[in-house]
Amino acid sequence: MKPELLFLILFFPLLCGILNALFGMRVPRLVAETLAVCGVASAALLTLLFWPQAAGDGLHATLFTWLDSGPLTIPVELSFDAISAPMALMVSGVSTLIHLYAIGYMKADESYARFFALLNLFVFAMLLIVLADNLLLLFLGWEGVGFCSYGLIGFWYRTPENAAAGRKAFLVTRIGDVFLAVALLWLYQLCGTLSLTAINAQAASLAPATLTALALLLLLGACGKSAQLPLMSWLPDAMAGPTPVSALIHAATMVTAGVYLLCRLFPLISLSPTGMLAIAVVGAATALYAATCALAQREIKRVLAYSTMSQIGYMFLAVGAGSVSGAMFHLFTHAFFKALLFMAAGCIIHLAAEENDIFRMGGVARRAPLIFILFLAGALCLAGFPLSGGFLSKDAILAATFARPEPVYQLLWGGATLTALLTAFYTFRLLYLVFAGSARGPVDNHRLPALMVWPLLPLALFGLGGGLLNWPALLGGSPWLQQRLAASGEFVVHLSHAVESRLWAGGTALFVVGLLAAHLRYRRKTARTETRVARWLRGGWGCDRCFELLLLRPYRGMALFCSEGLDRLLFDETLDGLAQIVRNCGDKLRWLGNGRLTDHLHGFAWGVLILLGCGLLLLIGSH
Amino acid sequence: MNALPTFPWLTLITLLPLAGALPCLLLRKSARDCRGVALATSVAVLGLTLWLGWEHCSGSGWYVIEDAAWVEHFGIRWTLGLDGLALTLIVLTALLSCGAHLLAWRITERVPFFLALLLIMESGFLGVFLALDLVLFYICWEVMLVPLFFLVGIWGREGRGRAALKAFLVTLCGSLLMLVGIIALYLLHGAQTGTYTFALRELLQHPLTGPAQYWVCGAFLAAFLIKAPLVPLHSWLIDAHTAAPVCGAVDLAGLLLKTGIYGLLRFGFPLFPDATRLWLPWLMIPALFGLFHAAWVAYRQTDLKRLAAYSSVSHLGLVVLGLAVWNATALEGAILLMLIHGVSAAALFAASGMIAARAGTTQLNELGGVWGRAPFLGGLFLLFGMASAGVPGLGNFVGEILILFGTFSAHPLIAAVAATTMVTTAVYMTGLLKAVLWGPPADDAVWADLTWREGWVLVPLALLIVWVGVYPEPFLAPLREPVQFLLTTVGTLSGGAP
Repeated sequence: MKPELLFLILFFPLLCGILNALFGMRVPRLVAETLAVCGVASAALLTLLFWPQAAGDGLHATLFTWLDSGPLTIPVELSFDAISAPMALMVSGVSTLIHLYAIGYMKADESYARFFALLNLFVFAMLLIVLADNLLLLFLGWEGVGFCSYGLIGFWYRTPENAAAGRKAFLVTRIGDVFLAVALLWLYQLCGTLSLTAINAQAASLAPATLTALALLLLLGACGKSAQLPLMSWLPDAMAGPTPVSALIHAATMVTAGVYLLCRLFPLISLSPTGMLAIAVVGAATALYAATCALAQREIKRVLAYSTMSQIGYMFLAVGAGSVSGAMFHLFTHAFFKALLFMAAGCIIHLAAEENDIFRMGGVARRAPLIFILFLAGALCLAGFPLSGGFLSKDAILAATFARPEPVYQLLWGGATLTALLTAFYTFRLLYLVFAGSARGPVDNHRLPALMVWPLLPLALFGLGGGLLNWPALLGGSPWLQQRLAASGEFVVHLSHAVESRLWAGGTALFVVGLLAAHLRYRRKTARTETRVARWLRGGWGCDRCFELLLLRPYRGMALFCSEGLDRLLFDETLDGLAQIVRNCGDKLRWLGNGRLTDHLHGFAWGVLILLGCGLLLLIGSH
Repeated sequence: MNALPTFPWLTLITLLPLAGALPCLLLRKSARDCRGVALATSVAVLGLTLWLGWEHCSGSGWYVIEDAAWVEHFGIRWTLGLDGLALTLIVLTALLSCGAHLLAWRITERVPFFLALLLIMESGFLGVFLALDLVLFYICWEVMLVPLFFLVGIWGREGRGRAALKAFLVTLCGSLLMLVGIIALYLLHGAQTGTYTFALRELLQHPLTGPAQYWVCGAFLAAFLIKAPLVPLHSWLIDAHTAAPVCGAVDLAGLLLKTGIYGLLRFGFPLFPDATRLWLPWLMIPALFGLFHAAWVAYRQTDLKRLAAYSSVSHLGLVVLGLAVWNATALEGAILLMLIHGVSAAALFAASGMIAARAGTTQLNELGGVWGRAPFLGGLFLLFGMASAGVPGLGNFVGEILILFGTFSAHPLIAAVAATTMVTTAVYMTGLLKAVLWGPPADDAVWADLTWREGWVLVPLALLIVWVGVYPEPFLAPLREPVQFLLTTVGTLSGGAP
């Protein structure tokens, strides 16, 4: 097919989103729902149609010139290549399943048109990020997903907390966006173009210090969208949105945009060792931080939110360790199993009569065995059950970190290993509390709509079997993803089979230890006593308070100073003061025109005297 | 100028609203008739400007010049000229005036007088954007100011008297300085070259030399920067915006502020190249300061209209920054942002007015839940809010990013600082959206969603915002030549502030 037709992948979700926004409320519900699913499904189908052409250099299309001013030219360029094609397929495919699920999930909601319009627009913006070959166009998608996320987190807007959570997500990610914007301006200044291909090609000619600065800017930009330290605090709150939104935006796609950006610009980033180390450190630190927070969460979706943050930390670590294929591998398997977990959690919450607290759940396994099996499939991937997709992708990252020659990476590897243990522990904690025993809270025994169950099946298969994407050589496979992405500056892992099998054994041991620990602690104990440490962990190490003290309070203080101090007191009062002076002068001079005869005579007399005096002086002067 | 006398379209466009104002004042009995006449006039002007734009969209230089002797003795001529810059601005004027007339349906007191004032003001705006003779320009400049005083002073809400007087006096100070400047320029230029004239194009041929030009330039800049308005000269605008009736606020935000920037581009900078080159870099400081100052103050506002007014001031700070950088990209971005800010700010004020009319208040803590009560109105409000917050794909972003690109190429650090406005703007804009759209509704009253008349005001503006955001080329193309002209007339800046 002609490369220009690539725009169709973007066009259908956009069109259906706009149609739903404008007319969704006027047409029967079924039409709006069908439209939404068709928009996304057609994007997935088109991606499949284009798939064979992604091989080699891939497809590149320039549609039209977006901005043209002075020396600046920004064309709308799309590219469909080794890295963007699988990503586009994953985004559109997972989105289709989540849209189907959402039909079932939103059955009772009256604002379905707004929901599906925003969801479709989101898919459009996300695909734009994936397909854009121009950094400014990518930025358009980047901000577009931010906006859709804002609208969808605050979807149930009548509750002020939801609206506040949406606003928080928008603002915190926008802080990251500023850094991305600066990086973009700078890259244009340096390279004279914003085409990703051209930037990567020219990267080698840039000064090392510049490269490091650029890598750090890009890292900060990615941190905002991907909820990494220090811009992570918005993600747990984002769970205020409907569950399909959490599954699509805050687990499978948008939050991985940061990883994708770093992978796209990997040839540039990999030239700066400092930048790479910073990325790895941020990733490992976030992974550990979020895993500890997940240990103490009570709401099922917040556990999953922190685990998302933690898993994305792994992906950052992979990029930092130089393994793009590891990052993308984990991105894919994580997208499958985390979307699965979220959607299954949505089912569980339905069955628990909208109760979120895992300490008030329990016994779901007996009431809904199918949901239990599906959730278990996702949980096994998350916890690293040997040979599941999640295990293999996580192992690839650990191996890449372990194999780095620099000692600091060994330290990061230690942290990541500890994280893997914690992950197994909190996953099984969740499983025991939700599924084991008997119900401790409200129960709603209505049947789940079929659409809320069967889209989960393919995700469970993909999650468990995701390893086939990159089947390791140790098991006699050929790592397809690694070969596909092997192009540019990727760090090649050289580990002997002996070391690798030992790493695998270690990973399996971690899984077992985590499982046993959770079994011992949570099989029976379901009480809700909370220690101080647990409360601190549940609050995310008090990061909201830190934000409040370090950022919000100075900001408010500055605003107060500007509005009361400068604007009111200085500028306004000065103006009023000037007006007052003019008025006072007028008042002083008013007697001139008051019409009293004596005043006039006084003035006349003085005038005559002064004139006479002047005349005299002149006379004296002339003589 | 032209050998063959052609039909004076520009004169017609400029005087048509004035002519429409006459029957309004004469037919004082029937408000209905007056509304019809006024709307018909503004639609006719819009049609004519659009036709002119269509006719000359591929032209170059001055598309049309109309030149006639007026007061020969003093070298005052009736000169109107149309180039790309003026064309975009008169289309904007005509569009927003139509919107203002539709919004004026809400006014019930002294309707004929109100409509006549709106029409006179439109004539003033058109004259300002077309005049190429300094005296004619000055007359139009005052013609647009006087109706504003009455619009705010008579039909405004509480505090209108003080606000009207403040706006009138402060801007008049600037105007009078400019008048002195015009006369001084006339005399000095005459003394320098021997021809006494107010014609802009002749004055441009021989720019002033010597120290006097700095004083004259200062007088011009003062007038234009008060109008722009540059912080700290902005407080008149806040009060006037807040007190003005909706259609007055639309004209204020959409057009009046643009006359300041236009004045700088058409007169202030090219007439005094030496002074401009010297002073431009220093303009960056108040521009950057104003950008953040106004954003911070906006964050603290509790009134819908005051918040929107501060948002305008903040955006104008970015426009002035683009001017101060003085390269092609930044200038085109600044002009485009000025234009699209006219659209988005006017739309935001119009939508705010519609919400305020339904809710009976503009206090943010008394509003809320608009989304559920009027989804289309709420949706458009969201769109305009997001446009103001600089979301890509909408018009404001294009202007902002061009300014940032242009600024970065000359002053990377300033551009990086200015880029953080993405956050400060989003902070107050999402605060505004949260207070207006989200949350529970304040009371149980049932609201009408967007009416057809309101839709005719807002929807074209929304479409324009999206159009500029997605494909700005038709709006950037006419700006290229005027920007090149400015760059060659004034010359490029060498060094200067950081």
